[in-house]
Amino acid sequence: MNTIDPDLLQVMRDVVRSRGLIDRLDQGVDGIRLEGAQWHQLQELGLATLTLPEEHGGSGASWLESAALLREAAAAAAHLPLVETDLLAAWLLREADLPVDDRPRTVAVLDESGHSPLVPWAGEVERIVVLAHADGRRVVADLDPSDVDIEPVASRSGLPRSSVRVTGTVDGTPVDDGTETQILLRGALGRAVQSVGAMERIVELCVEHTTVRVQFGRPLCKFQSVQNLVSDIAAETALARSAVDAAVTDAAITDLAGPSSAFRVAVARSCVGHASSTVIRNAHQVHGAIGTTVEHPLQLLTLPLLDWRNEFGGVRFWDRLLGSTLRATSGSVWELATGATSAEFDKVLMEASR
Amino acid sequence: MPTHTDESAALGTLRQEVREFLMTLPATLRTELGGVDTWLSGWNIDFTRALAERGWIGMTIPREYGGHARTHLERFVVTEELLAAGAPVAAHWIADRQVAPTLLRFGTEEVRREFLPEIAAGRCYFGIGMSEPDSGSDLASVRTKAHRVDGGWTVSGTKLWTSGGHLAHAFIALVRTAPLDASDRHAGLSQLLVRLDDPGVDVRPVISAGGHHHFNEVVLDDVFVPDHRLVGEEGDGWMQVTSELSFERSGPERFLSTMQLFEQAMADPAVAENVADVDSGRQLARLAGLHEMSRAVAGSLQRGEEADVSAALVKVLGTTFEGDLAEWIDQSAGSASGVESRTKSLATRGVIQRPGFTLRGGTNEILRGVIARGLGMR
Repeated sequence: MNTIDPDLLQVMRDVVRSRGLIDRLDQGVDGIRLEGAQWHQLQELGLATLTLPEEHGGSGASWLESAALLREAAAAAAHLPLVETDLLAAWLLREADLPVDDRPRTVAVLDESGHSPLVPWAGEVERIVVLAHADGRRVVADLDPSDVDIEPVASRSGLPRSSVRVTGTVDGTPVDDGTETQILLRGALGRAVQSVGAMERIVELCVEHTTVRVQFGRPLCKFQSVQNLVSDIAAETALARSAVDAAVTDAAITDLAGPSSAFRVAVARSCVGHASSTVIRNAHQVHGAIGTTVEHPLQLLTLPLLDWRNEFGGVRFWDRLLGSTLRATSGSVWELATGATSAEFDKVLMEASR
Repeated sequence: MPTHTDESAALGTLRQEVREFLMTLPATLRTELGGVDTWLSGWNIDFTRALAERGWIGMTIPREYGGHARTHLERFVVTEELLAAGAPVAAHWIADRQVAPTLLRFGTEEVRREFLPEIAAGRCYFGIGMSEPDSGSDLASVRTKAHRVDGGWTVSGTKLWTSGGHLAHAFIALVRTAPLDASDRHAGLSQLLVRLDDPGVDVRPVISAGGHHHFNEVVLDDVFVPDHRLVGEEGDGWMQVTSELSFERSGPERFLSTMQLFEQAMADPAVAENVADVDSGRQLARLAGLHEMSRAVAGSLQRGEEADVSAALVKVLGTTFEGDLAEWIDQSAGSASGVESRTKSLATRGVIQRPGFTLRGGTNEILRGVIARGLGMR
């Protein structure tokens, strides 16, 4: 089955919604900090490292449970380093056979000079796992934030983002050459799932607002032009959800190493990215001027979308890879769309990551 | 949206079987593949019979009525492959897609025995008898009337946009069996199965702007319909039509009408050089996303869930997509020399047929209303 235990879902929802959207309005001005209390609750419930195998202290859950938690957190604008800690850092440490625990972490993929221009949550987490270059190999090390230079960079939503620099050679454990591509795919899918969670909550906010707000003597939702704007948000969100669900279901079975995994992630990112244009534009249109201010929770959901769609490959990055695959394939467009020949996509992705 | 539905290994095998079947067709039928909008206009009885022999018509009809007792998801896979290949499936399309499920749910035993085995054998073809000259989107305003007579009904009125009506054997007409009640416009409607060769039926062609004849006007002048051809209960016509539309709206024909144009353009170097990878990649992703979405609805129909809102979501996005595809490729092919005449003729067909995509089976404006109602806004 592709659904998760409803009791578990309720537990997740209770934690991330312990603060409502209205309680979070200050995020719009003050930026977003790691919420220690919520993180602690997640740790106690085994939700902080959901997908880490049980023998390493995790909960041994799959991408399905992880996706549910990410959607719930994004919908509550509880911006926690869940993708970074569980899906990226814990996974990478396991790949390198290094010890891991459930402290909040992030991953910095460093270039040959030891730099990474945009690392999420770097100034907020307790450990920074780096994927570095050393003697012509890729190595992994679990560093203390005080061992690296962290320079905050601006984000649209106030989500913490930093430039990270490591001087000198990283003393790390060698990992497979394909690790960087795996990090890209895992991060890309994580962001796609978060985006869908935010978009689904935006649909709810739009229905709520247009039902309550009265203009010309009628609730806005009674105007057909307003219904059309919201219907299109719902349709794009449903398409994005379908594409993301397909990638997550694949990931739950293959951990993103299956024959169609990368292709499905690319499809999900493209659908989510293009959906976000309609969703953000129409949602703000039906909310009127109030939705553009820090006094209204809509921006707590729309601004992260604008950050997420550009991370782990932008919309056009994934579109272009899919298009290059079409150009290169010897099969039909339809065979590609139904996943029959996605080895072609893996080749294009490898070349792009080189 | 309904939950994601995975494609099992068995369904994957079925998909391959259909692909092989198409590749190994006799030459006379193979040349009939590769069209645009072929579920509406590709009427080929030989192809329909060949499909029936493989058991790929009436797949979800129970065996006792001559069908194959297979699942909605199996039917979904087969129809997806046929549509993606641009196969001429129009002859049996309406009968297979919506008449068979409607008769199974609402038809009398006599009508089921009379029509279902013939549908499954690929020998009986249907049109649709919903719209009228003055009733397009506002279906509840139909004026075709049926009067009670001894042993049945007499029906008079005019139906419009009956695709393939000049070639089909029958249609299910939505008619008024009680006068319009302004306080409940959906009451007093019923569905009657009418044979198009019955006395008093006159089928007249409606030629499309591209010069093609697939639409018809069907004039009914005191046509006698026996009691057992009342489909469902008298007065339940609106509810029945609405449930029929879930089958009509969610299928892969709502995003694959121009798939062969996409294929042809990508294989044509003169078009491909005008196409940017970012654009073709975006269309490919949307195609793959709609494929997932449409399959989720098929899974939902299989489980017997209400699917009217999710079907509307698929149809709004899918019909817009298949039209955008035609528009994009036509602009990419343009007047470039060296573009294969086949790409151009498909592109021409695509852009001329396009306005119909977002009209038929409920306009996208009506469907947005259905979605808004599902969201609780109406």
